[in-house]
Parts: sequence; structure tokens; C-alpha cells
Amino acid sequence: MDRILVDFIKALRGNGVRIATSETLDAIHAVDLVGYRERSRLKSALSATLAKSEEEKARFNTCFDQFFQFNDLQTLAQPPAPQAPPGNRLQQMLNGAQPAAEQAQSPLGQMLMAGDSEAIAAAMAQAASAAKVRDIRVITQKGLYGRRMMMAMGLEAMEQEMWAAEAATDAQQQALGDALRKARELLREEVKHYVERQYLLQASGDSRALRESVMRETSLENLREFKDVQGLVRKLAKRLVATHSRRRKIYQRGKLDVRRTIRHNIPYSGVLLETRWKAKRVDKPKVMAICDVSGSVSQYSRFLLMFLYSLTEVIANVRAFAFSSDLQEVTQWFLRENLDTAIELTLKEVGGGSTDYGRSLDTFTHQCLQQVDHRTTVIVLGDARNNYGDPRTELLQAIHNRARQLIWLNPESRLRWGSGDSEMKRYKPHCSWAEPCQSLNQLERFISNLLRYSQ
Amino acid sequence: MSTQFSVEQIKSGFAQSGYICNDSIAMTMFLAYQLEKPVLVEGPPGVGKTELAKATAQFLNYELIRLQCYEGLDEAKALYEWKYGKQLLYTQVLKDKLGDLLKGAHGLAESIDRLHEFGDIFYSEQFLEPRPLLQALQAQRGTVLLIDEIDKADNEFESFLLEMLSDYQISIPEIGTIKARRHPIVFLTSNNTRELSDALKRRCLHLFIPFPDSALERDIIQTRVPGINEKLRAQLVGFVQEIRKLDLKKQPAISETIDWARTLLLLHAEALTPEMVETTLNVLLKHEDDINNVKDDMRTLFNKLFKR
Repeated sequence: MDRILVDFIKALRGNGVRIATSETLDAIHAVDLVGYRERSRLKSALSATLAKSEEEKARFNTCFDQFFQFNDLQTLAQPPAPQAPPGNRLQQMLNGAQPAAEQAQSPLGQMLMAGDSEAIAAAMAQAASAAKVRDIRVITQKGLYGRRMMMAMGLEAMEQEMWAAEAATDAQQQALGDALRKARELLREEVKHYVERQYLLQASGDSRALRESVMRETSLENLREFKDVQGLVRKLAKRLVATHSRRRKIYQRGKLDVRRTIRHNIPYSGVLLETRWKAKRVDKPKVMAICDVSGSVSQYSRFLLMFLYSLTEVIANVRAFAFSSDLQEVTQWFLRENLDTAIELTLKEVGGGSTDYGRSLDTFTHQCLQQVDHRTTVIVLGDARNNYGDPRTELLQAIHNRARQLIWLNPESRLRWGSGDSEMKRYKPHCSWAEPCQSLNQLERFISNLLRYSQ
Repeated sequence: MSTQFSVEQIKSGFAQSGYICNDSIAMTMFLAYQLEKPVLVEGPPGVGKTELAKATAQFLNYELIRLQCYEGLDEAKALYEWKYGKQLLYTQVLKDKLGDLLKGAHGLAESIDRLHEFGDIFYSEQFLEPRPLLQALQAQRGTVLLIDEIDKADNEFESFLLEMLSDYQISIPEIGTIKARRHPIVFLTSNNTRELSDALKRRCLHLFIPFPDSALERDIIQTRVPGINEKLRAQLVGFVQEIRKLDLKKQPAISETIDWARTLLLLHAEALTPEMVETTLNVLLKHEDDINNVKDDMRTLFNKLFKR
């Protein structure tokens, strides 16, 4: 029985519930105590040992419901008597089906006719492991595995018998043939469901992991094509929040904590040998993001903004500015609207002009330079392609001088910096650091660094 | 552990001490007792996380030891502390004795040797002030240890708990490792203000207590506020359940429902009326905005609930 549990745990892991070996052992102990017989008990016992957060509980519940479906087999066991309209030929045939159980010769036929649900369930589980259904990976394999499973259950013998019975002239034999055919259809349905469930459990987790890893490497420009990219960004952001909100240290500097110092030095009869300092809460960084939203760069800005606004728990406050030909603050949209609408609004209102870095920097300097202080991190996202206009590098330098750090993210790779109308080479000396930012992976790494170094 | 309990026994035992629970809570308690594992209880505030520990203590007739966590909680407050005052006092009192002890000793080395013979007298268990964790380990009878609001404590404290949770032992540098005489039943509660570490979660069984469904909540009200009539009970539970669906800053928890039921009982209410609700709403909701929101929706709420 442990085999089932291990398979279940594998399925859970595939669905994003993290389970350690020690937890598996706990689950086995728990199942020893509780047993498999009562579904609701098994569920709460496994839930307590395996799923360790509200989110994981939800995943666990769907997974459990798919995996342990004890009840379906009841329907298989009782051929669809209720469906048949009373009084017609079918009904009579079904009435005759019980004695037919003894007549059926093939083991599978007998089992199906007898309607022994537990035996059928056991046979199905056995056949599934013989056919290695748990190895199913791709959706197109469903038919193949279903067929294999039915074969393993002894379909061949039963079909032979069915054909023979149908060919016979004897009415009772024909009734048997009919009954067998119906039973076969039912079994086929049931096996199909079973394989489908296995596919959902085993493969969907894997394929999701695969898709996520692809998504993380894809260029941000094409990423919109993927459906659940927002979900992924949220997931990455959540992980960043988890790691960085935890970092709270007591440093050996700052304010002396007199009370704790005296308390701590009582063993030295009051001589202050060891000092205690007031725990210093780490400052959350203040971020100003200046995003180019013209043409192709807009897609990159979309993801940067999406990320920054998913991080409100670890970033004190984010102000967003967007520019193409001129700059405009867009923070208020992000505060009021949901993320998608805000981004769409930004692209619509501000995007579309020809890029003018000089003018945009000028506007920024006039509007906000006063508010840039030593705690502010300024992020510029853009390709620095200025259409051969005046780059106004001195303005960037002024911002750099006031800010804690100025970071430039460029969606182009380093090789292309400075080629054509790119002013990247001239802007770069005035940045604390400049980095290419092409995929979600790079973006995540950048933000992680941002949180680490700005604290 | 000596006695065995079934899940039903636990459930009915809890009910006797006034704690009505569903199957999954009873099952988790059963596993915690059988597997001797700590339980991490999560859920919105006021759903009875702390009550669960109290009920367990009452049910098993164990002593309840409670450790309230807060930021800056350290070993000295949670585990043990030396009785510095006593140590100082004793050294002062024994100062004169020191002369007698060292009488006849020649030279520094011999004196020190003699002192060594007395060992670490001042760092022995007599001078140890046990704090909740140590108390739980040292207890002769079984205990229920409640570590309340673990999410409020620092990360360091969480890591410090790991030894205690997995092996029921604790290392004190001056004395050595102290093992539990009997494994206590440990509850950790968390309001999820921050994510707990995986290491901690791995060592615990996990129980999530959501807001109760209406049937369970009616049962709870019946046990906790027995004087209330059936009609009013059904009405007020229905009302609270409906309010929870609204978008509120803080949703009313079970404890608030109980308070509200008590209030209505005091006011001799027979049935809910909009006026009655309006005047007592501050028992149920703790934010001005929430109260105003519900007041605005009062008519629709009442229509939905009682217009049959």
C-alpha cells in the first residue's frame, strides 16, 4: 500500500507541493494509524502531514480528489440499470444479466458481470502498474496506455467470448453477448477516465515545470504570448518577498540598548562587559522606475513594472515614470487600477512617440530631482536609442549624485550597446551599474540584487 | 504514551470542555498524540487556535504551559536563565566559608585545586530558573506546550526551536543536554504575518483552521452561549456568515460571533432586527469603515437572509 502513497506524493510534488522525505515518513506512519478505508479521514490525516500552508492545502485537496476516487467504481459495478427505461427489451436483458454472470467464462467477463467493485478496482490498479500508466508524459499517449491496461486486464479473452456469444443463435447466449458488450463499453470509459486522471496527476505537473523554465528564459518581448505569465511573475515575486523580508539583523552599531545590556551583564556582577544594541530594522528601499514605453521596449517595461508592483511588501514605495517623447508620472494608475489596466493605460497614454531621452531626463529633473534622496534607488529601463538627439548625460549624472544608486536596465545585449543611435556607452559611466535584462530570469536576478544591496 | 484515544473520543472530549471541532481538527490531534509530533496551527485570528491548546490540556488533564512570542524574544525568556541574584547572594554569604575551605592550602595552585573539587556548584540546576520551554521538558506529568504566535518572534528564535521540536531536547552549555522526561504535546500558532521557514514546517503537523461553516458555528454558539433561543441563533449565524462574504478589513471571527451572541442575549433579543444589528454592530466589527459598509448594505443583507 505504501506504493500508492509514494505515487500520490510524487503527484503532489508535480503539482507544486513541496514534500521532504521526513514528511513522507510521517505520512506513512499516519496512514498506518488511520488506514485507507475511510476517505475523509485519510484525507485529513494526509493533509496534516503533507500540506504545510493554506495554498498547499488547496493544491492538496484537488490532487487528493483526483487521485483517490473510490466511488467511481460503484457505477461500474452496477450496470446502468437506472438509465434503462423500464419495460423495454434492455430492462429484461439486464434482469437476465445476473444469471449470465455464471455463464460468462472469461475471468474479466465474470468479474464485470458479477459487479464486484473492489475486485474491479484492484484489477484496474494491477493492470495500471503492469501497463506502467504512471509513466505517461504526453497527452497523445492516452489511447495507447488505455489499450494496454485493458489488455492487461484480460480483454482479449472476454472479447472472444463476446463475439462467440453474439454469433450464437441461442437467445440466452445473445443476451450474454449484449451484456458483455455493454460491460466492455463501461470498462473502456472507466479506463479512459483512469488514464486521464493519471495524465493530469503525473504529467501536468512536469509539463508545467517545463513550461515555466521555458518562460523564464524566453525573451521578454515574446513572453506575452504565454498565458499564465502573470502567475509566474507573481510566484517569483512571492519568493523574493519571502527571502528578503526575512533578512533582519542586529548590527553591532547604532543605539545602545541600555536595558538589555545591564540585564545581560548581571552575571558579571554588573560590570558592563558585553554590549547589546538596539535591533536595527532594515530599511525598505524606495524605488523610482523610469521606463521607456516606446515601441519594442514597452514590453520590457511592462514586466519590470509588474515585478515592482508585486513587491510592495519589501519595497517601501515605488514611483513609476513612463516616457517616450516626454516623461510622465504614472504611479497613480498603478495605485488605483489593477496591474493590467494600469499597464495598458500607461502604454496607451504615454507610449507611441519617438524616443527622446534628453527631454525626458530634463522633465524628470524638473519634476522630481528634489525628491530623490540617499535612500532612493533610481532604475532606468530603456535601450538608450535616442534617435541621434542630445543625450543630456549631465542630467543623468545629477540624478546619480543624489540617489543612493542608479541602475540602468537595457533590453539589448551588451554587444549592441553603443551601436547605431544607442547612447548606452555615454550613459553607462553615470550609472552605479548597468545590465542587460532580457528574460524573466535576468529580471528576477536583478531585483534580488536590488533588494540585497539597497538594504 | 499509555492511553489510546480514537478520533471520536477526542471529538466528544473536546465538546465536553466546550470546544466544538470538525473532523480534520480531531484527526490532527489524534495524529499529534500518536506520532508525538508538534502541531503548527494556522488560520485567521479568532478561530480558536489558542483555544484548541487549552481544550487539549483540559481533555488530557495535562498542565498547559504557554509561551507568548514577540519580537526580540530570546533564550533567556523562553528557555532558562541563571538566578543571578541567588548566585550573588550565595557567594556573599559563603565568602567567610572560603577562608575555612582554603585553610592549610599552600600556594595558589593547591587553592585552585581545592576550589575545583566543588565543581560548578553555582551553575547547577539549583540556580537554574526554568522558563516555559524548560518547564515543559522537565515536567513529571504530561504537559501541553503552547508556543503562541510564533510568527511574531524573530527568525533566530525559530531556528533555536528546531532542536526542541524534533528531538524534544535542549542543549544548555553549562549543564549539557536536557531531554524531555515525557514528550509534551506542542502547539505552535501562527497568524501568518510572515512565512515560517521550511525547516520548522517540516517538523510539524500542519493544521489550517478556516472560518467555520454555518452548521459548525451554530453548534459552537449553542455550547458557548447556551441561553440563546434557536431562531435567533440561526439568524445571527446566518448574518455573520453573510458578512464574511463582504469585502471587509477584518472579518468577524468565531470569538466575535460569540461576543455578539452574548450581547444579544443580554439585550433580551428575540429575533434580529435591522435596528438591533445597527446598535450592536461594533461588537462584531472592529473597523469604522467596515461598520459603515455593513450599515449601508443592511437592507439588502436582511432581504437576502430573511425574506423567504
